[in-house]
Amino acid sequence: MPVIRFLPLLFAAASLSAQTTAEAVDAFHRGHYLQARQMLEKIVDGSPRDTVARTFLGLSRAATGACDAARPDLQQQFDSNPEGSLRRLAGLALVQCALAQNRMSEAEAVLEKLQKSFPDDADVLYETAKVHMKGWNDAVFQMYQKTPASFRVNQLSGEIFELQGRYQDAATEYRKAIQKNPAALNLHYRLGRALLLQSHDSANLKEARKEFQAELTLNPSDAVAEYQIGQILVAERDPAGAAARFEKAVSLNPEFGEALVALARTKADAKKYTEAIGLLERAVKLQPTSESAHYALMMAYRNAGRTEDAQREKAVFDKLSRPPEGEFTEFLKKLGDKASKQ
Amino acid sequence: MKLFAGACGLLFFAGAIYAPRFENVAAKAGLTRPFPNGGDKTKKFIVETTGSGAAFFDYDNDGLPDIFLVSGEGGLSRLYHNEGQGRFTDATAKMGLAAAAGWGQGVCAADYDNDGFTDLFVTYWGQNHLYRNIGGRRFEDVTERAGLKQDRVRYNTGCAFLDYDRDGHADLFVANYLKFDPRNTPEPGENPYCWYRNLPVACGPRGLEFDRNILYHNNGDGTFTDVSAASGIAEPDRNYSLGVLTGDFNNDGLVDIYVACDRTPSLLYINRANGKFSEEAVLRGVAYDENGNAMSGMGASAGDYDGDGWLDIFRSNFSDERETLYRNRGRGDFDDATALAGLARNTRYVGWGCGFFDFDNDGWKDLLLVNGHVFPEVERLGIDIHFRDRAILYRNLGGGKFADISETAGPGLAERHSARGAAFADYDNDGLVEVLINNQNEVPSLLKQVTRPPNHWVLLKLTGTRSNRSALGARVRLTAGDRTQVDEVRSGGSYLSQSDLRLHFGLGASTQVDRIEIDWPSGRRQTLRNSAADRVVTIEEPRD
Repeated sequence: MPVIRFLPLLFAAASLSAQTTAEAVDAFHRGHYLQARQMLEKIVDGSPRDTVARTFLGLSRAATGACDAARPDLQQQFDSNPEGSLRRLAGLALVQCALAQNRMSEAEAVLEKLQKSFPDDADVLYETAKVHMKGWNDAVFQMYQKTPASFRVNQLSGEIFELQGRYQDAATEYRKAIQKNPAALNLHYRLGRALLLQSHDSANLKEARKEFQAELTLNPSDAVAEYQIGQILVAERDPAGAAARFEKAVSLNPEFGEALVALARTKADAKKYTEAIGLLERAVKLQPTSESAHYALMMAYRNAGRTEDAQREKAVFDKLSRPPEGEFTEFLKKLGDKASKQ
Repeated sequence: MKLFAGACGLLFFAGAIYAPRFENVAAKAGLTRPFPNGGDKTKKFIVETTGSGAAFFDYDNDGLPDIFLVSGEGGLSRLYHNEGQGRFTDATAKMGLAAAAGWGQGVCAADYDNDGFTDLFVTYWGQNHLYRNIGGRRFEDVTERAGLKQDRVRYNTGCAFLDYDRDGHADLFVANYLKFDPRNTPEPGENPYCWYRNLPVACGPRGLEFDRNILYHNNGDGTFTDVSAASGIAEPDRNYSLGVLTGDFNNDGLVDIYVACDRTPSLLYINRANGKFSEEAVLRGVAYDENGNAMSGMGASAGDYDGDGWLDIFRSNFSDERETLYRNRGRGDFDDATALAGLARNTRYVGWGCGFFDFDNDGWKDLLLVNGHVFPEVERLGIDIHFRDRAILYRNLGGGKFADISETAGPGLAERHSARGAAFADYDNDGLVEVLINNQNEVPSLLKQVTRPPNHWVLLKLTGTRSNRSALGARVRLTAGDRTQVDEVRSGGSYLSQSDLRLHFGLGASTQVDRIEIDWPSGRRQTLRNSAADRVVTIEEPRD
């Protein structure tokens, strides 16, 4: 069984029942888990109601691989210890034990409670990410083991390559997936996207457009594919063609914020500011934290002579665009998949 | 105002469309020395990535623009005298400029003391230098005497002289990039801001401390006073400032200041007439791209590309970003017109020096920008982004549209360099504008057309009398045939560079200039009629 490793954790000093408990806790914090465990086992034998000792006994047992022995103490402290910092430590150790023993639902249940009590805690968020990652890894492993010839394997490989910035490899995998299952949805879309990201060559715009169009052949109600073609037409200086595509995307999905913004821009370019403002007001309602929607609305108000409204939007935009949060948001946006747009 | 209702649309000279051929004539012209600027395979610190600028200015008043090129550490910034016949000779030592070593960044020029000779200002990571031109015979370093000694090491970048208070003396704006000290700057790979596409690279600008821009007021006695705080220039404190561009963007007769900023919103300081500036880039539409994203702005240029009488702004940006063309919709409010104008496709380049200039003299300002990535390490990736890359030339088609003609415009444009500063001048007074480019760790490029368009031109040399002697801020409206064009005399611009202070206008098929109207900074308006084309016209501000 793997040994659970603890990073040094903050521990708010509680009143310790005896000097030896303090020494044992100190040994734990110095990473001498076995020594701490032996000391704490003796302390708890003599003072079974010493909650600090019980908590750290659970923690040191977990840290030395004895999760089964640790669990009762950890669970009790997590459920009932009034001291928040001890509850937190016990909960985190429970999660780590559950993960090590592949008891995912137990880990998730403890994490749910931890998140409620400690919503901004980095360790809690870290463990949450780990649990999700493990679930993802397990599912992928099974898929590769059980259905290695499936187009889904190629699709997933493509998506992983995309995240790694290996767009050419991603495109290759999507092409293989399409060959295996020409009727599957989203493959042409993902291929189109990978082509756009793969190279700055304007010839790629044409290739990508073909893929988005192929996606639309399979699924004529795909608003995001319409939107992507619209963006390509903007780059190709075909504003009328782009506007028609954005219009279609919005008609297919009236809550598609990015398409509303893009359509509004075409209206603003045509000096139809009232129409643009209507679309953008819808967009900011749908996506209140979208910098691009607020920015476009600010400019539309300005161009329509609505200075006070423009100033108000500027204040919202300024708040949203403050780095580094804004920068990180942009990073996440780049990772964003189709589902978040539809 | 309906002054600018000239024929939009197609090029109006008869016959086939003129195809330019630009060649690099640097070696032939005598520009054979390389200008070092940090590592060529790897760069450890950001200071190695930003230099350096180039200048065309006529220091000896012989009517031929001379050259100044700024060097990074390990080299010497150099002055080259224009000997005529397309030849330049190194005049650095002879003119007393040989001491200027260090991490040179930008350059700007103007006659700050109104003695009739153009002076030179060079920015550094470290102490800037003001060189007073003594009668065109030598330069004297007057930095300390002029009150321009800085009390700490600053990362000064773009600069421009401007007469913001119209008192007849050229003031000085200096952009500051960030606070940089190699002793406490992380090395490549040390934190998330020191990576590019999984490569450890020089850190920044993100993660490094911001600094503030500086405005020096010219006291009229050879000294300057730092008025950054009082003027409002120092107010913005979250921007990485690089290229400086001056111009009267709202046509109120007062010079404004645009600053291209790296990874942060760019700045537009609007001149409020009372010695104060207000920073208004966001609402005026020139801080971000059309999506509200802050670009990595490097250089900037102004020109009325659509002929509506308002100065538009072009800004060069980083790779994976579009260049940005901001169309002035009047009164200094701008729209992002990049895609509409056809500039949205070149996204693999890191752009630096840039300029509106009319290469074919058809009366429509074309656009050139020079490129090269900041990180030499990018070559290891084997992708289509390069440390050394070619320039881009856009032909102005009229009607607010451009066409990329880079690949058919001659071998000079196709050469790959890690270019930074670019300056523009008709250095041989033949009516065609040449481009001087400072390339990192290489000899500079000097792009010259070896073909000749079938159009006419005029060069205007303006001299202020009541206004500042360099005529900085003088606004010219020139009418030839059915076209009226506007431009201004400005110092600085492009990327950390100085172009010729003379104004070049293409006249298309017109063989004469019908009208030249000049709004001098002093408030005086002057009109000249019926000037012949294809020559340099010298205009002095009326003294009465």
